[in-house]
Amino acid sequence: MKSLFYFLALCLGLAYAQKIGQKELIERAAAGNGVIALDAETFDALTSQKRTWSATIQFTALAANRGCMPCKQFDPAFNSVAKAWSTVSADKRELHFFATLDFDKAPTVFQKLGLASAPVVFAYPATEGPRKTGRTAPTKYDFQDGFDAAPLAQHLSKLTPIPIPYRDPIDWAKHIMTAGAIIGSGILLRAVAPILLTRWTWAFAGVILSLVMTSGYMFTRIRHSPYTGKDGSWIAGGFTNQYGQEVHVIAFVYGLLGLAFIMLTVVVPMQTSAAKQRMQIYLWTAVIMIIYSVLVSLFRVKNRAYPYRLFI
Amino acid sequence: MPSLAYPVPTDLSPATVKNTASLFRIVTLALISGAAIASRLFSIINFESVIHEFDPWFNYRATRVLASKGFYEFWNWFDPTAWYPLGRVVGGTVYPGLMATSGVIYYLLQALNLPVDIRNICVLLAPGFSAFTAWATYMFTKEMKDESAGLLAAAFIGIAPGYISRSVAGSYDNEAIAIFLLMFTFYLWIKALKLGSALYGTIAAVFYFYMVAAWGGYVFITNMIPVHALVLIFMGRFSHRLYVAYCSWYAIGTLSSMQVPFVGFQPVSTSEHMGALGVFGLLQLVAFANLVRSHVSSQNFQKLLRIAVVAIGALGASAFVFLTYTGKIAPWTGRFYSLWDTGYAKKYIPIIASVSEHQPTAWPSFFMDLQMLMFLFPAGVILCFRELRDEHLFVIIYAVLSSYFAGVMVRLMLTLTPVVCVSAAIALSSLLDVYLNPVEPDEEQDAVAQPAKSGPADAAPSTASSKSTSSTRGIFGIDTRLVVVFNTLWMLSFFVFHCTYVTSTAYSSPSVVLASQGQDGSQHIIDDFREAYYWLRQNTEEDAVVMSWWDYGYQIAGMADRPTLVDNNTWNNTHIATVGKAMSSSEENAYPILRKHDVEYVLVIFGGLIGYSGDDINKFLWMVRIAQGVWPDEIQESNYFTPRGEYRVDENASKTMKESLMYKMSYYRFADLFGGNQAVDRVRNQHAPKNIELGLPRRGVHVRKLDRPYLPSQERGHARAGSEERERL
Repeated sequence: MKSLFYFLALCLGLAYAQKIGQKELIERAAAGNGVIALDAETFDALTSQKRTWSATIQFTALAANRGCMPCKQFDPAFNSVAKAWSTVSADKRELHFFATLDFDKAPTVFQKLGLASAPVVFAYPATEGPRKTGRTAPTKYDFQDGFDAAPLAQHLSKLTPIPIPYRDPIDWAKHIMTAGAIIGSGILLRAVAPILLTRWTWAFAGVILSLVMTSGYMFTRIRHSPYTGKDGSWIAGGFTNQYGQEVHVIAFVYGLLGLAFIMLTVVVPMQTSAAKQRMQIYLWTAVIMIIYSVLVSLFRVKNRAYPYRLFI
Repeated sequence: MPSLAYPVPTDLSPATVKNTASLFRIVTLALISGAAIASRLFSIINFESVIHEFDPWFNYRATRVLASKGFYEFWNWFDPTAWYPLGRVVGGTVYPGLMATSGVIYYLLQALNLPVDIRNICVLLAPGFSAFTAWATYMFTKEMKDESAGLLAAAFIGIAPGYISRSVAGSYDNEAIAIFLLMFTFYLWIKALKLGSALYGTIAAVFYFYMVAAWGGYVFITNMIPVHALVLIFMGRFSHRLYVAYCSWYAIGTLSSMQVPFVGFQPVSTSEHMGALGVFGLLQLVAFANLVRSHVSSQNFQKLLRIAVVAIGALGASAFVFLTYTGKIAPWTGRFYSLWDTGYAKKYIPIIASVSEHQPTAWPSFFMDLQMLMFLFPAGVILCFRELRDEHLFVIIYAVLSSYFAGVMVRLMLTLTPVVCVSAAIALSSLLDVYLNPVEPDEEQDAVAQPAKSGPADAAPSTASSKSTSSTRGIFGIDTRLVVVFNTLWMLSFFVFHCTYVTSTAYSSPSVVLASQGQDGSQHIIDDFREAYYWLRQNTEEDAVVMSWWDYGYQIAGMADRPTLVDNNTWNNTHIATVGKAMSSSEENAYPILRKHDVEYVLVIFGGLIGYSGDDINKFLWMVRIAQGVWPDEIQESNYFTPRGEYRVDENASKTMKESLMYKMSYYRFADLFGGNQAVDRVRNQHAPKNIELGLPRRGVHVRKLDRPYLPSQERGHARAGSEERERL
């Protein structure tokens, strides 16, 4: 009889402790604008083996002396998602928590989890109650889509009882800027209409566009290539790689060679003096030969197996 | 009598000159065709008459069905062995133009009692059509400038590596015939526009239909012609010739394109085709307005008319927007949308982003594929602006659009190549026109006329002025002519050397058969792919399902003739992700997936021993990514990297990586090959792990059978005893 009493008391006690845990977490979350600021002790409470709630924890290092720039970039996004979650009705809200663990508050936790870098986001599923998934291990959020809030909210919505009602804040400054730019360009358009209506404006724009595109501009945009190499070199080794500066150089080389041909075809025949014309022809032919040789030698840098070379 | 720089015969009658020039043109075109075909035969000479790569294997297999069972059977062909267990309705999900073309050639030759093997027709179809492409480009360029530019353009496209890369012998893919159709449809469009001819418009529509039946890239024509028409309207160049040409092309072309089952109602229900429909409507409005204007003189009424046209146009545009919004018109498909929003594919459709030919193009690829044409190209565009006839606008629009597309995707280099060839030919032929003309200008007379002009550089803007004075302009002396002509000849011959080199080394590998150079320069043929497929064909039951990554699906079906889970027709993302999941899960998790799909064999390509970098370990991250897209909770890309964010395969590899089926199969017993020495993976330049408990390492290719009573608990005991090994080394 006595033992049964103790057992009941134990059960009650456990249940009570659990209750307190969740209650306290709710209070702390409310106090922290939807985010619980964790330390080693509350971390254990939040991620206890028996939890009816799920949780998203941001492991970060915000202290200035740590110098973690990505942490500072990501922190506002995490907080705004957490804030969006705190607008959900209480019965759902209390089933999922957002929390932040700073390295300086609990380095032991970082060691325990084997974390060597920050920021990291772990999503802990519920292990008990109606929402349990059968898994206890947390899943890691990879920052594949960058440090923005919207993809984070989208990703976490799979875990929360209802989707996180996150919306990107309306960027008024951007909208006003766009409207201003449209009006401004409209006014400008009237002013420069005579220029726009000449074919050479279009020819210039079209040719520049083609030159830039065929010099690998889209490659540098899509692959986020740096403008120059780390060691200051401007030309990247390797056939399927290039730096931003190469776009300028190659577009210039192509443009110069194209110009030389235009000169020879269109402008030089207009020359009325035989001597001047001869000089121009030799000049532009020399330009073609030399610049073409430079182009081929640049190509040899990229493709080392290329067997041909010109004068250089 | 003008002074001449070099003597020309004067006693020839014009008819003789004309006939001789015509003969020369025919002979030159014949020689160009010969060169175009010959330069595509490197792959046959170096290797053998074999179908290349991946997609051609499917086309070949389908063509064999067409040739052996007839067109009707092919049309209704349901292939139960692909996408096991779903199957694939081939007739309705394929562009049949290519197979139909080779089928017709095959039956034609049979009728002539020439028993040519269908495989040889397939292998040689692309070189054959490249000769037609050269001719179509000649016709197209002739409309832009003249015959001499046409011949240059034909020669350029005949040997430019940018086009050869997709049309060598054995590269039996849709592009093989599509570029000919593209250029010929464009030529017919230009011709129809020039003449205002409904006949040419209709022929353009017929070839457009052929193009729709042959290649998904027909959308390029569907948008290119409307953009051209739209620009002409905006420039105030609307004419009845434009109206007749466009309407005849659009009406007949659209109706006939809807006869292709794979296209169906897309021309009236998807955004890619809406531009063409919109321009069609706009043309009716503009034509109607012009008609009314010519009959009514009141100024106010004309104002009203203009407002009405704009209002109806705006109404039509908003109707499009509304229909798109409500889902009546399908929005841009991911493939096309990713051309504009370049980050889109990586985020939402990793299958498209994972294909190597969908990567952006760095500048060396442009130079490799087009060499000196690359800088003649802008010069030719400038010369088009100088004249700016209706058809020149077409070249300009084509040039700007396709250079953007080619920058975004390597494979679209193919659509850039024709316009670069045309444009470069215009530039080079204009140059030669000036410097081969024997007439010398008169110095004194010009000096008097000159002050009227402000300067030579400003003379370009008006074509009229340059034309009226062209008789007095030209080149003095003979040395000046020679230096430019020799410089041009030297560049042209360098171009030929370049093209031959690139074609023979870079673009003539079948990729089914690989070649490597030994230390002493001797050539080794690595035929492991075909041997592996042949092994499957010989040693497995006919209905044994083979799981592999989708790249090898068509080849397994074509060469091993076994059912596959996924293949290169990537229509079912979930099914591909299932394979990705099986490959990237641990054995315990992968096994139930394999059993559910009746998989008996898993095919893994491993190149760590010979240094073949296109193997599955290098593709592995894409499998993980695609699986993660469907099962984000179970598969996570970050788990396959070391804590420091590196992709490693040695002892430092992450735990998930080490446990994955792909990893285990790739490195199983790999270390044994090194006989106690440290095993080195030659692709990733890392030490290979030892003591892996599954998978069969071979030189290049391994095939491993999962024994039927194979269970995770029995794994250790039975993994080797229960597997059929294929020993070769």
